[in-house]
Amino acid sequence: MTTDQPEVSGAEIALENVTKRYPGQKAAAVDGLTLTIPAGEIVMFVGPSGCGKTTSLKMINRLIEPSSGTIRIGGQDVRQQGENELRRQVGYVIQGGSLFPHMTVAKNIALVPKLLGWDADRIEQRVVDLLDLVGLDPAKYRGRYPRELSGGQQQRVGVARGLAADPPVILMDEPFGAVDPITRQRLQDELLSIQRELRKTIVCVTHDIDEAIKLGDRILILREGAEVAQYDTPENVLAAPADDFVSDFVGSGSTLKQLSLARVSSIELADRPTAWVGESTGEVVARAEAEGHDAVVVLDDRGRPLGWPWLRQLRGHDRVPSYDAEKLNTLDSRATLNDALDTMLTSSHGAAVVTGDRDQYLGVISFEAVTDHMRQLEREAAAHGE
Amino acid sequence: MWQFVDDRSDQIVYNTLQHANLVVQAVLFAALVGVALAVVVVWVPRLETLANAVSAIGLTIPAFALVGLLLPLLGIGAFTAFWAVAFYAVFPVLRNAVVGLRGVDPTLLESARGMGMGPVAVLLRVRLPLAWPVIHAGLRVSMQMSMGVAAIAAYVNGPGLGGYIFTGITQIGGANAVNYAVVGTVGVVVVALLADLLLLLLGRLTVSKGIRA
Amino acid sequence: MASDTVTDVPARTSRLRSMPRGTVTMLVVPPVIVASVFLVYVVWRQTATLDSIEESQLAWPTVWKLLGEHVRLTVVSALAVVAIAVPAGVLLTRGRARIAAPLVVAVANTGQAAPSIGLIALLAMWRGYGFWTGVIALTLYGLLPVLRNTITGLQGVDPTLKEAGRGLGMSATGVLLRVELPLAGPVIMAGVRTSLVLVVGTAALATFIDAGGLGAIITTGISLLKVSLMVWGAVLIALLALLVEWLGRLLELFTRPKGV
Repeated sequence: MTTDQPEVSGAEIALENVTKRYPGQKAAAVDGLTLTIPAGEIVMFVGPSGCGKTTSLKMINRLIEPSSGTIRIGGQDVRQQGENELRRQVGYVIQGGSLFPHMTVAKNIALVPKLLGWDADRIEQRVVDLLDLVGLDPAKYRGRYPRELSGGQQQRVGVARGLAADPPVILMDEPFGAVDPITRQRLQDELLSIQRELRKTIVCVTHDIDEAIKLGDRILILREGAEVAQYDTPENVLAAPADDFVSDFVGSGSTLKQLSLARVSSIELADRPTAWVGESTGEVVARAEAEGHDAVVVLDDRGRPLGWPWLRQLRGHDRVPSYDAEKLNTLDSRATLNDALDTMLTSSHGAAVVTGDRDQYLGVISFEAVTDHMRQLEREAAAHGE
Repeated sequence: MWQFVDDRSDQIVYNTLQHANLVVQAVLFAALVGVALAVVVVWVPRLETLANAVSAIGLTIPAFALVGLLLPLLGIGAFTAFWAVAFYAVFPVLRNAVVGLRGVDPTLLESARGMGMGPVAVLLRVRLPLAWPVIHAGLRVSMQMSMGVAAIAAYVNGPGLGGYIFTGITQIGGANAVNYAVVGTVGVVVVALLADLLLLLLGRLTVSKGIRA
Repeated sequence: MASDTVTDVPARTSRLRSMPRGTVTMLVVPPVIVASVFLVYVVWRQTATLDSIEESQLAWPTVWKLLGEHVRLTVVSALAVVAIAVPAGVLLTRGRARIAAPLVVAVANTGQAAPSIGLIALLAMWRGYGFWTGVIALTLYGLLPVLRNTITGLQGVDPTLKEAGRGLGMSATGVLLRVELPLAGPVIMAGVRTSLVLVVGTAALATFIDAGGLGAIITTGISLLKVSLMVWGAVLIALLALLVEWLGRLLELFTRPKGV
């Protein structure tokens, strides 16, 4: 939608010949890794289990100390400051959110700002802003305890906690590994939309190549010993895998993989009739029928889609009722076509509602539009081959 | 019976308070020692087997035997009673604190470190609050056990209600023997139940709602 | 792969360390302590110059007699505890009696708050001095752990296993005897061990109501201010208690069904 790029708030991370050896172990877990992560980008670390991707990540915030080599964040050697000071300036998000069960949502988010000595009002405001940012109603969720939240909500709070002190760098370790596929896709979309606003430097470890293709500005594919197999944009990794290891790993070459690369935003969205909560159903139904549709997308007062009822479901009400947005599987415009197909499968409309920044309603993506796009890709690929 | 109690009400109240006082002080002391030891055990995992063995053996030593062992060292009276009670009270707290502190999910600890908490902050803000329900359960066991130990320690002139029971035994067959024994026994039960109630209340107030069973 | 194996290493050693090592320690250390301390006692007893009181109190026939009484009190009471608490626990997990279980446990818990010495004193006033009064007091005192563990043990048996038993055509009694009790066995035996420790320790107080036991040496020591009697009486009781606890552990180990 908007094309004006917000300012980059991230910092560059540079790893220089970083090695980690564990005592009593022949091969180094990470052997001479050199890497530059540009400010404001999402870089995904992928590779087979035991390749050293998590070790590499944890060396950035010194949860694991490198045996040799240098790591700089924004030009500054991470060893120049105390490890705790460093970690307070580097967001850390791990699987399941890892929230402290004895603290409320607000307290969890407030932890690092408190460690940094922020005053109470500022922390308070920050908690509210962050909950809003991750799509949780502050009034409703701030006082809740983690066990009162769903897995996806816990993970959202985990992300908010990682962002709390507004760190330039955020490290994520399999952040969405513990939730179901639909929720995972939503969380990924939300992360992309948050990143569109904040432009942090995000380093994220995953074992899921589709996730890496979807989220990453760049993908780092590692072999054993954290040897770089390829470090490039998702497009290039798919189009020109460096070697057999990479092409086996990403399963590139198939048109289906391209579905993970193409974004919903690259397809023209269809317009569907919309209705506001509280509108008179008579008018809504008349409007929709005039346009030849049998369903309407219901929006709340901030333009966020809540539900997608059939007209026959609406006819029972005088006014358009409110729906539980949790039950509507929406797609972020940055979601991949792969996600789009997944979401359509769970919908009875054979299409999916697409949202933009802060969950604003954008339009609807239909199954036909996706298949058309795929056919076009195939034709292009064939034309290339000839 | 009522006449008996009525005649001695001041003295009974005094001894009840003495009993509670002895047990609460000893248990409080033991709880601090137990938790401190548990923190050390958790930091040096090698000590865990030792701690478990010491707890098991310590709890096996009969209270009356311990009183017999302490008497030559500490003499007759409140001092022996205090140490006897405190000795036993350490173990349930120690055992539960080790279990509780070790039971904290390691990913939470890593998460805490990853957020920039130092070891002391991790202990005070994450480990102890999460282990507290288990420690609290150990505290209740300690408290209940200590009530009986304190009664036995009265044999060597420890303070509290146990004295009535021993008076009852020495006067057996006498007019007031049963009264003495009943006052002593029931008194201890009442103090024990009240103490447990207070501990439960303490638990309600101090265990985070997020982890309450 | 290489780093996979390595991350596994600490986990494996700690598993080796925690579980079996603790069990092994508790099976080896107590008998060693008991044997060596008892040896110290024997050496002291044979070499020290004792006055006439010590001589008579610590004469071997006297010690054996008191020890025998103590063991008899313990064994008879423990058997009574098992004979009462296990069936009671079984009953409280069957049919309609189930709803009474929490109530019974709560009452038993409250009862446990009564000081052992008070219970013994009151029973003596009601039933007179002697061995059997001691047994009744110790039995009452030892009931709770076995009762509680029998109930939790039986409640902890996976209901699908019970159903499987019924499905194979076992009667309710068959399921109880061949599925539930064996599976609940370890929990019940842990309760029995706790009871044994309680009973053997409390039996030291039996001397106050002329029910015998090693407590007599301590009381004599205290009333005559003989430090040697207080200490050795206490030591002998402690050794017996440790031995009994150890036997409880052995019992627990041998009654554990294979594969659990």
